[in-house]
Amino acid sequence: MSAYYRNNGYEEESDYPDYSGSRNRTWGHLKTQDYPDSSDALNNSGYPSTRSNPYSADYRTGPDYPGSIAEPDYPGSRSNPYQSGTRSNSFSAGSRRSSDYPISLAEPDYIGSWSKPYHPGSSREPGYSESQWNSDFAGSRSSGNYAGSRTNPDYLDSLGEPDYPGAQRNSNHPGSRANSNHLGWIPTRIPEYAGSRINPYMDTLGEPDYPGAENQPSSPNFFGEPDYPNAEDYQNSPNFWGKPDYPVAENGHDYGSSETSEMTREVLSRTSSIRPSFRHSSDGPLGVLERENEDYPESIAMKSMGMANPCDDSVPGAPGNGYVNPAYVGESSPCPAYGNPPLSGCDWHKSPQGEKLIASLIPMTSRDRIKAIRNQPRTMEEKRNLKKMVDKEKSKQSRRMLELNCCAQCLNSISRAYRRSKNSLSELLDSVSLWQKTLKVIGGKFGTSVLSYFNFLRWLLKFNIFSFIVTFSFIIIPQFTVAEKNTLQFTGLEFFTGVGYFRNTVMYYGFYTNSTIGHRNSGASYNMQLAYLFTIGACLVICFFSLLFSMARYFRNNFINPHIYSRGIAKLIFCWDFTVTHEKAVKLKQKNLSTEIRENLSEIRQENVKLTLNQQLIRFSAHLAAWVVSTGVAVACCVAVYYLAENNSEFLKKHKDPGAVLLLPFVVSCINLAVPRLYSLFRLVEWYEMPRHEVYTLLIRNIFLKISIIGILCYYWLNIVAQAGEECWETLIGQEIYRLLLMDFVFSLADSFLGEFLRRLIGMQFITSLGLQEFDIARNVLELIYAQTLVWIGTFFCPLLPFIQMITLFIMFYVKNISLMMNFQPPSKAWRASQMMTFFIFVLFFPSFTGVLCTLAITIWRLKPSADCGPFRGLPFFIYSIYGWIDTLSKRPSYLWVVWIYQNLIGSVHFFFILTLIVLIITYLYWQITEGRKIMIRLLHEQIINEGKDKMFLIEKLTKLQDMEKRANTSSFTMERRDVEQPGPLPVGERDAARDLRFRRSVQEENSKA
Amino acid sequence: MGNKQTVFTHEQLETYQDCTFFTRKEIMRLFYRYQDLAPQLVPLDYTSCPDVKVPYELIGSMPELKDNPFRQRIAQVFSEDGDGHMTLDNFLDMFSVMSEMAPRDLKAYYAFKIYDFNNDGYICAWDLEQTVTKLTRGELSAEEVSLVCEKVLDEADGDHDGRLSLEDFQNMILRAPDFLSTFHIRI
Repeated sequence: MSAYYRNNGYEEESDYPDYSGSRNRTWGHLKTQDYPDSSDALNNSGYPSTRSNPYSADYRTGPDYPGSIAEPDYPGSRSNPYQSGTRSNSFSAGSRRSSDYPISLAEPDYIGSWSKPYHPGSSREPGYSESQWNSDFAGSRSSGNYAGSRTNPDYLDSLGEPDYPGAQRNSNHPGSRANSNHLGWIPTRIPEYAGSRINPYMDTLGEPDYPGAENQPSSPNFFGEPDYPNAEDYQNSPNFWGKPDYPVAENGHDYGSSETSEMTREVLSRTSSIRPSFRHSSDGPLGVLERENEDYPESIAMKSMGMANPCDDSVPGAPGNGYVNPAYVGESSPCPAYGNPPLSGCDWHKSPQGEKLIASLIPMTSRDRIKAIRNQPRTMEEKRNLKKMVDKEKSKQSRRMLELNCCAQCLNSISRAYRRSKNSLSELLDSVSLWQKTLKVIGGKFGTSVLSYFNFLRWLLKFNIFSFIVTFSFIIIPQFTVAEKNTLQFTGLEFFTGVGYFRNTVMYYGFYTNSTIGHRNSGASYNMQLAYLFTIGACLVICFFSLLFSMARYFRNNFINPHIYSRGIAKLIFCWDFTVTHEKAVKLKQKNLSTEIRENLSEIRQENVKLTLNQQLIRFSAHLAAWVVSTGVAVACCVAVYYLAENNSEFLKKHKDPGAVLLLPFVVSCINLAVPRLYSLFRLVEWYEMPRHEVYTLLIRNIFLKISIIGILCYYWLNIVAQAGEECWETLIGQEIYRLLLMDFVFSLADSFLGEFLRRLIGMQFITSLGLQEFDIARNVLELIYAQTLVWIGTFFCPLLPFIQMITLFIMFYVKNISLMMNFQPPSKAWRASQMMTFFIFVLFFPSFTGVLCTLAITIWRLKPSADCGPFRGLPFFIYSIYGWIDTLSKRPSYLWVVWIYQNLIGSVHFFFILTLIVLIITYLYWQITEGRKIMIRLLHEQIINEGKDKMFLIEKLTKLQDMEKRANTSSFTMERRDVEQPGPLPVGERDAARDLRFRRSVQEENSKA
Repeated sequence: MGNKQTVFTHEQLETYQDCTFFTRKEIMRLFYRYQDLAPQLVPLDYTSCPDVKVPYELIGSMPELKDNPFRQRIAQVFSEDGDGHMTLDNFLDMFSVMSEMAPRDLKAYYAFKIYDFNNDGYICAWDLEQTVTKLTRGELSAEEVSLVCEKVLDEADGDHDGRLSLEDFQNMILRAPDFLSTFHIRI
């Protein structure tokens, strides 16, 4: 596309030198072509913007030449706003901005008209720098210094016109420069200023749009930048401008031949303010000019940002960084990481900016360097070249270094080998990754939110696979080597009850030997007690850390900060789910999104509706009642489970039916199935302002229910079963957990196949108003968490449990997948998937995993292992196996360090006391730091807002001033205005005209203040 | 393995690996996806870096993009010349940015470009209108659309200049944690 414009641009460009070249020609042009075209502009609604403007420029330039300088200039500046009026209507913001410009252009326009006739030669110089500018002025107006040339007293005299603001502004300009070093945000204006000053050239040349206008508004963006560029920057920036602008304007052909080929992508990638109009009016003349133009403003800005960063020093034509994200930069490299390279491909890194980037990349480790290169928002070609350059530099250096030490090279090759092996490892892991295709289909049909459930499931599956591998290799295989023959009979029912045959298998704790498995010949031995404890311990520790790290990662990525989550319509709009690829799903999603937006809008409209005291009371009491009822139900369930479990043993003695043991798991699963649904019925009574609150309340209640049921069961196991003195109570607990898990699995299967299927039938056939159901992610995830908690507790009593859970999860994935595809529709609400996943992982960590740790700690430190079975038989407590081991070790001098560590670190109260103290202090410090940062964030936010207000205020003032001036000068305008308006009956947009000035004026104000 | 050697040289593959977030296997997979789009156009030998472009019509018909309301913008943003015709490099670039591994800032940078319909470096009201229309398939009335745009600007425009700059956009994206997982195209 850009190329296309470019070509058009060239065609047009060829005309431009004409304008500037000779006065007569301009005139001719004005007379012959101008008027028909401007009338044309009226007819085409979209197009006029581009078409009419070149002529508006003509107006301005044209009259300049013939008459006295003062007068013709004026009409020009008048005519522009009028023309732009049409434009601003047809295009929204971008074009409105450009419409701002015309008046503000008055001054540059003026200059342009001056400079051209007098110094046609200088304009052709590639680096049309400020100094040249000055000299121009000096020459023509005999004013020695910059300020002088700007102020141009004679100028003013001769003119005495509304255009005059421009001149004034000039005179102020030096002042603002001086200030630029000291003041926070005034400097930001200056790049704009430069922009607007140079742009006029383009304008006089017949630029359809007023690039400068675009640049000005852009300034706020740079407000936030910590250090703002200093004065040198500005001196440089015109260089920037001068070079690209001028050649294009004056020597269009040359420019094209030399640079266009490289500009292809950059032009597009760079955000061009004026392009909008061109984009839409497909063959706008001067497309290229426009784009060039507006690249440069940015590059100035970039450069100024470059100052903030260590690398800067831009030389004409080599601005590097458009997009500098300070945070990002800080992270990856000292150099602006994100740049909009104005020169493309092979060229930009030859520029100082590119060199700086390269220089900053060189000292990095190869891993960081690749990461930094990878994160550059550039094309592949550029990244490749960047990498090549860096590698070349690096090898140059390393050759130099080689003479000093070959160690570096050695390290280098090691790191390269490491990287390679890591790559191949990740490839290997990638090939193992399960269900990639299925997940893609799910994501395509149901979006990220439902996908997150399946990802969670997969994550848990990985957890269990890992646990299984560890337990299998360190407990189960050694046990196999000494296994006795199982004499128990196998009937099919054991699969459900877990008793009987399985009792004497590796499945349960009771089967494991307490002996030391020794190798016949060598002295190597394997202590089963220690292996059992250490394996389970290692499993839990690794689970702990992986949970902790993934939780931390989620927290870091998702910025959990509740107060910023208030209704955000912007998030709805910019967070379109790109994973959704299925046609129907996309349509449904679009429909849902529009409903949601509508809801959101109505919410915003009614947000000020205040409830009466009565209503508030009613609502409050409804909440209270719901909480009381839900807690009551949960407590009742716990009590019921407890009594059932207590009486179960007697019940079992009476009933010899082996299936009777299933009663307790059945009841528990029933509770788990029914009560959450009861809870979700509460929404009929309760009324929440925000659906999010509803979701969270429901979640908290469900978690409370599930965790308390598990808690009460643990209490029962540890306090009743373990103390009852039954034979091999560990195995009994293991069986119980196995049955619970299995029953839960069966219930989920039944729920998927029957419940969800029936619900679909009902929804589709009988009560069509219900429609298809939506996948309840929260409930399903909680079920997974519940099962996982049981598995963690049970691993100690039943080491095969991770394996069983592995299988059930594997089956669950397919069952849920099929059920999802058959029975469900995509969720209608934007579900904050990542936020919820963070929450779920937190839940998995906090009540669930920590509860498991507590339970197991009590078991190991406080309970007496059963006397006749299991690896710990005969010991007073489980932990005595460790004590015994330490005792043995202390007799061997070579292992004394282990004993020392144990005695002074693990077994020492003082150590833990000090450790806790240190951790508490650090936590407190970090907490304070976060508090401080919060305040900082608030202040910075306020500052941004204030600066916005500042700007608006200045703009307003400016507009007022402009109006006053206008009124004052009305009489002198009348003539010219008539001149202009008659030929081109362009719509008059007074409002736009006023707006146009805002920026110019703001600069002026700033400067005059300074 | 054999295929890799014939399609790319070892160095080429390594460079691709370093410049994207993909493993070797994924690069090969993407290459075959690319090649499948236009088998008669794309050679199976890339060792000499042929200058081949797959036209937008074919890119846009990929199942991953076919129903995406922003498919044209995505193709334009990532293609070298802005018209949606893509070389292999562009193609890899696109999926690299859209991959799971790409950092938030990179994603935000390109998302901003995608939403910036008129390429003026700002998301202005007009861009927003386009976005909303695309997102809702014209289901909202004009009044509602403009209200939405107003609200969005109200919410996200940190400096009150009436349009969203890249900084505004990034700032807003920070507050939308789902962005990272939703701005993602699986391959």
